[in-house]
Amino acid sequence: MTKPHAQNAISAITLAAALGAALSMTSAPVAAAEGANEHCYGVALKGKNDCKAGPGTTCAGTSKVDYQGNAWKSVPKGSCEKTASPTSPTGFGQLQEFKEKA
Amino acid sequence: MTLQAEFSAALLDAERLVPSGLIAWNGSNPDKRFAVYRNNVVTSLIDALADTFPVTLELVGDEFFRAMARVFVAQTLPRSPILAEYGDALPVFVENFPPAASVPYLADVARLEMLYLTAYHAADARPLDNAAFQSALADSAALPNARMRLHPSVGLLKSPYAVFSLWAAHQGAFGIGTVDPYRAEDVLVVRPRSDVEVMPLRSGAFYFLEQLADGASFGDSVMAVGEVQPDFDLVATLSDLIGVGAVIAINF
Amino acid sequence: MPISSSDAILSSNLAGLTRDEIGLRHHSNTTNASYPSGRLPAQAGVGLKPEHYEAVLSTRPKLGFFEIHAENYMVQGGPFHHYLTRIREHYALSIHGVGLSIGAEAGLDKAHLDRLAVLLDRYQPESFSEHLAWSTHGGNFLNDLLPLPYTRQTLDRVCEHIQQVQERLQRRMLLENPATYVEFSQSTMTETDFINAVLQRAGCGLLLDVNNVYVSCTNHNRDTHAYIDALSLSLVEEIHLAGFAEDRDDAGARLLIDAHGSPVAETVWNLYRYTLERTGPKATLIERDNDIPPFERLLEEAMRAQDCLIAATQELTYDVAG
Repeated sequence: MTKPHAQNAISAITLAAALGAALSMTSAPVAAAEGANEHCYGVALKGKNDCKAGPGTTCAGTSKVDYQGNAWKSVPKGSCEKTASPTSPTGFGQLQEFKEKA
Repeated sequence: MTLQAEFSAALLDAERLVPSGLIAWNGSNPDKRFAVYRNNVVTSLIDALADTFPVTLELVGDEFFRAMARVFVAQTLPRSPILAEYGDALPVFVENFPPAASVPYLADVARLEMLYLTAYHAADARPLDNAAFQSALADSAALPNARMRLHPSVGLLKSPYAVFSLWAAHQGAFGIGTVDPYRAEDVLVVRPRSDVEVMPLRSGAFYFLEQLADGASFGDSVMAVGEVQPDFDLVATLSDLIGVGAVIAINF
Repeated sequence: MPISSSDAILSSNLAGLTRDEIGLRHHSNTTNASYPSGRLPAQAGVGLKPEHYEAVLSTRPKLGFFEIHAENYMVQGGPFHHYLTRIREHYALSIHGVGLSIGAEAGLDKAHLDRLAVLLDRYQPESFSEHLAWSTHGGNFLNDLLPLPYTRQTLDRVCEHIQQVQERLQRRMLLENPATYVEFSQSTMTETDFINAVLQRAGCGLLLDVNNVYVSCTNHNRDTHAYIDALSLSLVEEIHLAGFAEDRDDAGARLLIDAHGSPVAETVWNLYRYTLERTGPKATLIERDNDIPPFERLLEEAMRAQDCLIAATQELTYDVAG
């Protein structure tokens, strides 16, 4: 037996055990699909994005005017303002929960 | 300069004179009429980007996003009429866009959204079912050299930011105020059937998937991860991947 | 509503066909291969939007056909193909291109033509159509249907491109009349003469967008009825109806924008009926690309078009009998 084979022989047992264990804790992929994220978060992640198709073509013009020039005055004014700062004492429950389950 | 060269240059540069030879029946200034075309091109492409990057937009607000997209559009037009492909260069642009510097995680959120759209339209394939996994298990001696084929829609993202949590917060999973954006997260995007699944990855799983995607064998992939990520949980990771439907074949 | 005279259809077609003074004789010795074209039923149809996939499949409305934009389906898999395949099983299909850039100065994009061939092969649509416009330059896609000067040079180019398309796809295509906001001093022919010449030389059919007729005629102060009458109406195979938005030009004149974001205007319905009196019933699409309403709203507009088509059929029967 050459060395690579010996290594593989050890791995084979480990891999088979791991795959077997993984299969036993996972129901059939189809049935599990909806559960994976919910399991971790208790919240369905099927949000508005799930039916999002991205941009579509149009053979129409638009009357919605977007004339803003290049003078830069804009600053981010969206939900980023609500994210916790690096030093914020806010608990980051969801991610924590995920890490714990992992 | 040909007419269409002149026309297209003037479409994208509002400072430029409108092409010569444009007329209106009432002798009115053609600038106003030409502006309809200018507006159609720019607005429709900004709208296309807004459709592809809804969370990126929400993070910085409509006004900022549209103003930023306007600069992007002027320097990066679509190279194909297939708009589902437009925007793949936006993340790099955002990364180097000084006004967005205060939101350093914005580019990675945009990357995640591009992966989402790509997965949405990717080729279809059936995830491997339980019976097929069981029969692979029966041939355990051959497992180390077996190759796991990932679903063609699989997209992987490694980020120093909480890109999954930021995205998930905008799907209503939890409040954005609870997200620490400066926590590293890796993400898997896959569309096993009709819906796109977005899943945070465990430690080492990104590297493991990268190996599999590169065509490395099951055994080599596991060993490679073990070297760089000792806390890699193979069982849990496999369970995640099987559960979400990211594997479509095990080739011996 | 004026009742058409019994020979209105015949006379207007003749008028259209005999007015191709420019550019025809020169090329009359190069006979075109004539390609087969499927037929959309002479009924009302609706532009298919992802927002309405589920509603269409669950309610299966009585519609003659659906129309899609080719470029939206040039993706490998996923929900778009899933739904279109199912909807296609129950309805006639029109594939409408928005990105071929038939009027471009540069040659046609062969890769795009190949993608179209794959899509048409997959869905076998009853109709394929594109626009009299250009939308790409220097490898960039501008995502708008841009106007052309009506010259011999443009005519030669457009005809050559249409012939290439028809040869590659092995089918007859329909060409849509444009909505435009400017005219060119370079033009040496009217839009209707130009279109008639293209139809005859390239051997394609006409997709008559009645809203575009109204928009362009208003923007360029032309008579809509005269415009319709001047076209080779016997070659009309499909009609488009849509809504427009309204603006003003620099002199305060009405400047209409082909926005597809509102219901079809009453004036356009009138022009549609005027057109049907001359063409007889033709497949008619309700186009909506912006501010997409619930499916029922589009269905209502389609039903209204269907009523016009029924009236046109009865008129036609009466004409033939009388």
